[in-house]
Amino acid sequence: MFINWKLREINLKIVYYGPSLSGKTSSLQYIHQRTRPDRRGELISLKTREDRTLYFDYMQFEMGEISGLKPRFNIYTVPGQVYYRGTRKLVLKGVDGIVFVADSQIRRLNENIAAINDLFEDLEELGFKPDEVPLILQCNKRDLPEIMPVLALKESLGLNGVPTFESVAVDGAGVLDGLKNIISQVVTKARGKIYSSPA
Amino acid sequence: MNQGLHIPEELLDRIDHILAHLAEKAHTDSIVLADISGQVISIQGVMDEGTPAVVAALAAGDVAAMSELSNRIGESDPHGSFFHEGETKSIYLHNIAGSFILIVIFRSETPIGLVRLFAKRAVEQLLPVTEEFEEIVGPPADYAPDDFRKGITQELDDTFTE
Ligand SMILES: Nc1nc2c(ncn2[C@@H]2O[C@H](COP(=O)(O)OP(=O)(O)OP(=O)(O)O)[C@@H](O)[C@H]2O)c(=O)[nH]1
Ligand SMILES: [Mg+2]
Repeated sequence: MFINWKLREINLKIVYYGPSLSGKTSSLQYIHQRTRPDRRGELISLKTREDRTLYFDYMQFEMGEISGLKPRFNIYTVPGQVYYRGTRKLVLKGVDGIVFVADSQIRRLNENIAAINDLFEDLEELGFKPDEVPLILQCNKRDLPEIMPVLALKESLGLNGVPTFESVAVDGAGVLDGLKNIISQVVTKARGKIYSSPA
Repeated sequence: MNQGLHIPEELLDRIDHILAHLAEKAHTDSIVLADISGQVISIQGVMDEGTPAVVAALAAGDVAAMSELSNRIGESDPHGSFFHEGETKSIYLHNIAGSFILIVIFRSETPIGLVRLFAKRAVEQLLPVTEEFEEIVGPPADYAPDDFRKGITQELDDTFTE
């Protein structure tokens, strides 16, 4: 989070994290498509020739002024492929809220578990305390056969208390509900921070 | 690390002043000061709406990748810099203490030595200023938290089209 009192802007960073091919880029593409053109920036994708995320996808959108402050949201996705571990951590720097995009297919359970473990490890290495960063679980690809029940998936990931959303990122179902939830968590937290006085 | 940053207006004025001096001396096109997570702090010169945010995000990625690369060969300079020479415009990136990034965009006929010299001086001046940035601790006098929270919900509905 970064507040610029001169421009009266509050900047927040949200990261879509998860295993490869779980639908992070598809989610961001849908968000971009649904954001009012006058409020959104370009969608930037650093990707391989096969459309796999290489470094990150990025977009910014802003809102009208609220109580004299203009909120700006910077949304990133990380590359899910195993060997991009290093870049995933870099993208998490300064994060305010995380959407964990899991692939609901039964055969992808191990990849989901490895990714959630990486996430907590990355956050710790970056100096965050456990549970410091607001998190939601987005169970994606609910349109496919052979998927895990949401509760079972959630439990396997050790995310029992975490707000959870079912999604089909390719057509957008559930994506904005998740985004709105993480934003309101992030803002609530930001408020707490702004208001906590040192003494 | 920094989980939240509050930059008072007075410091931003000092930053603008340093960047303006750099722009004038090195004949730059535009300058962006960003934090290491890719958020814009200050801009000097003209850029299209939305461009500084993208420039900052990409530069932060670049600097992060370059520092990691340097680490692999045993370098660990938190003030590393590098530059990209283009046909008509070039970009110079300077890491400031591993926390901020100075991004200088200039016409390729401008000598890189000139840019490097004045950018280095600017970084020396920026360093003590950035050390004064405060972690967020207290609210501004006119900030109304409940309105803010309510406002966000309303604004969220206005931000996404049907
Ligand atoms: N059936 C179905 N396919 C999906 C869904 N979401 C994404 N896909 C497909 O899954 C593939 C991968 O989607 P991406 O959004 O690129 O995945 P990613 O998480 O960004 O992958 P990396 O960049 O490699 O980490 C694409 O072919 C998408 O069309 C979904 O909800 N249902
Ligand atoms: Mg991707």
